[in-house]
Amino acid sequence: MALSLNHMIPVSVKNGYDINCEGKPLSEVLALVPPTHVALLPERIPYIKPRLLVKTGGRVKTGTPLVEDKRNPDIQFMSPGSGIIESIDFGPRRVIKKIVVKCDNEESRERFDSHSEQDIQNIPAKRLVRAIMKGGLWALMRQLPFRDIADPEHVPPAIFVRLENSEPFHPEPDMYLDGRADLFQYGMNVLHRLADRVFVYAGSHSHADSKTFQENVTHCVKGKYPADDPGVFLYHIKKGSDENQSWYINGQDVLLVAALLKNGTYPVERMVTVAGSMASRGLHLKTRMGVPVSHLVPGSSETDKSRYIAGGLLHGYAVDPDSYLGFYETSITVIPKGNEKEFFGFARPGINKPSYSKTFLSVFNNRPLIMDSNMHGEERACINCGTCTTVCPVEILPQFTIKAILADELEDALAHGVLDCVECGLCSYVCPSKIEICDILKTFRQNYYKETCESHTIII
Amino acid sequence: MKAIRSLFDTFRKHFEEDGRLKKLRPLFDATESFFFIPGDVPRVSPHVRDSIDLKRFMSVVIIAILPTLLWGIYNTGYHSLLASGRDTTLVNALTRGMYVVIPIVFVSYAVGFFWEVVFATIRKHPISEGFLVTGLLFPLTLPPTVPLWQVAMGVSFGVVIGKEIFGGTGRNFLNPALTGRAFLFFAYPARMSGDAVWIASGATAAPTVDAVSGATPLACTTATNPAQTIETALTEAGYTFARLFEGQYPGSIGGTSTLLCLIGAIVLIVTGVASYRIIAGGVIGVLVTGFLLNMVSTGSSSAWFSLNPFYHLVMGGFAFGITYMATDPVSAPGTTHSKWIYGFFIGALTVLIRVVNPAYPEGIMMAILFMNLFAPLLDTIEIRLRLSKRIPNV
Repeated sequence: MALSLNHMIPVSVKNGYDINCEGKPLSEVLALVPPTHVALLPERIPYIKPRLLVKTGGRVKTGTPLVEDKRNPDIQFMSPGSGIIESIDFGPRRVIKKIVVKCDNEESRERFDSHSEQDIQNIPAKRLVRAIMKGGLWALMRQLPFRDIADPEHVPPAIFVRLENSEPFHPEPDMYLDGRADLFQYGMNVLHRLADRVFVYAGSHSHADSKTFQENVTHCVKGKYPADDPGVFLYHIKKGSDENQSWYINGQDVLLVAALLKNGTYPVERMVTVAGSMASRGLHLKTRMGVPVSHLVPGSSETDKSRYIAGGLLHGYAVDPDSYLGFYETSITVIPKGNEKEFFGFARPGINKPSYSKTFLSVFNNRPLIMDSNMHGEERACINCGTCTTVCPVEILPQFTIKAILADELEDALAHGVLDCVECGLCSYVCPSKIEICDILKTFRQNYYKETCESHTIII
Repeated sequence: MKAIRSLFDTFRKHFEEDGRLKKLRPLFDATESFFFIPGDVPRVSPHVRDSIDLKRFMSVVIIAILPTLLWGIYNTGYHSLLASGRDTTLVNALTRGMYVVIPIVFVSYAVGFFWEVVFATIRKHPISEGFLVTGLLFPLTLPPTVPLWQVAMGVSFGVVIGKEIFGGTGRNFLNPALTGRAFLFFAYPARMSGDAVWIASGATAAPTVDAVSGATPLACTTATNPAQTIETALTEAGYTFARLFEGQYPGSIGGTSTLLCLIGAIVLIVTGVASYRIIAGGVIGVLVTGFLLNMVSTGSSSAWFSLNPFYHLVMGGFAFGITYMATDPVSAPGTTHSKWIYGFFIGALTVLIRVVNPAYPEGIMMAILFMNLFAPLLDTIEIRLRLSKRIPNV
């Protein structure tokens, strides 16, 4: 059954591009056996300055704090399993890469306060925020435009709930909401206490049956990837600049917050997709937070030929198969590495070469194509072709914006709307000169944030 | 393929940091990457990248230019043979045309490529594919009678002054090929202005060739007597509209056939390599200006004022210029509305230069270079307007 659109506000996004990549996961759920090890990856949580709270060899329960954020020690990150801390890996400059927990058989859990439906409606919003922070899930609430952890001291202009992600390949809402409608409704009630305006949006191709799902959806987003990104959604609905600091949370994370408050234990259930042409099976997997990548993608022997991407083809980062899934990530995509040199690559007709441009015969080929992780060319000077502008979902002019950034014209870059950028990666994807446009914008945004906003918070 | 691969692998060590030829690294890289797309993987996200690169992009432009090049070869040969009273069959014409045109193209590529390598070596940046297009466009704008040393002069000026001193491909604000063409036009006006007919003679041609009297269509219109319209003057000289469209008349090597430029334009537009806005804007600019001039023309004004605007589209190098030169993305504006304005004024200025100032029979070259100068201004204005509509986020 399609969504009934009558009570939803349509939001249409003009620019964007749907990458048609081979390896879409099946709409089939497989419950995985529990892994022997789980881990927390503080390195993959943006902006935080982690302080370790545990030592190697220490015993932890599911929900025991492992690190806290020095910027605000009330924001904590919990152990995704119970057992013994097997190792703590540091990277360059003592970055905490991962904290590995060897799971024991009995799942012992830390106890937090549980809340009934009544409690949710009656206790002050501040106390709800406290409870989520104490339970280690506050970091799931993110604040635009920099996507840092939401500032708990402020009431946001709005909270957006993002149900789906059209980037290849993320769990579909029908999959993770299946049979959990009550919990989702509970979570929605919590969110309504935190902000006056809570918007739930879904793509036009959503087909979740659940009544809860439909009742809660306020907006229907039409458009190609990344139309369902919270930043893009904000850009298209905002009426004034006071809305720029809106918060957002993913649909699956609403379930986690709800489970935490309802049961008083740290929830670890995650729906994860494994996809891509090199994955032996493309599926939705029911597993837990911090699961090893090799547990999700068994038989990952051809590591030199495959690239493992956590968190979507365009947004995601490359991981080793012996690594773990991060706090936020719900997707692993495995594609061919493509580190071979192609003979006369530029002169081939290219019936199977995926491209946004119309310069390959693949224009006539609508089937999903195998995409590898090759650059498909060398970096060159910008020729001002403007392709990046045609795909930018928030209507920045990337080819001019990066020139402002590279010339250190900070004011110009901000006026260009660089803070509206959602880091979708399409500009870098389509660039024929192979310029790292998205990375230039991203680095600028991070540096700008570190220089301005972070100085206001207490750094210990 | 394996043999070529191992050839590169064998020679690479000479071009690396401690090799004897390390200065020529860009040349080695350019040659290798012509044969093999490197096996590089992205350093940062996104971890998939589009299959298009600048080589592909420029190859499409080359493909779109090829018809005009082939026609240029045939047409040059045909008129050369015709003038010397010899047999003008297809094979003969092509052979004769290749004899004239290939050296010009070769000199253009060789000299221009030399400058590219010099600058790439000094600046230690890769050799850009942009020159593949410049080096082919430039000779096509020249008359077949051009001496090879002038080709070398022109392409040197175009590449060095028109592009490299501003920082190379991507930073030039003028179209390098047209800059070279303009240099020759002003430096050697007697050979370039188009007053005299351009028929390649060559050493083997009959001596009578030098005595051929005639004029290119644009030149013959300047000699029109006031009582006669340009259309009749052209028709009397044998240049009917159909012939101007199809392009079998003496002129610059690649610029005569509007039909083939149209085919090239379709290729460029369908593949999305060139902006249809610039081309359409240019055509509209020509027609609108032409009609306006028709309206203001009186009996005393020059015959040019009353010329049917559609003739402007098929005469001279307009079709070639608007298709291949004006759409050069580097020297054109990068914003959408500006592209319309840019194209429109190229068309309008072409007509104005032809009509109001017949001392320069060819307006398109000046019009494009002039609008090249305005492209940054157009961009700045459009960007400001666009930004003022954004809800600020700082």
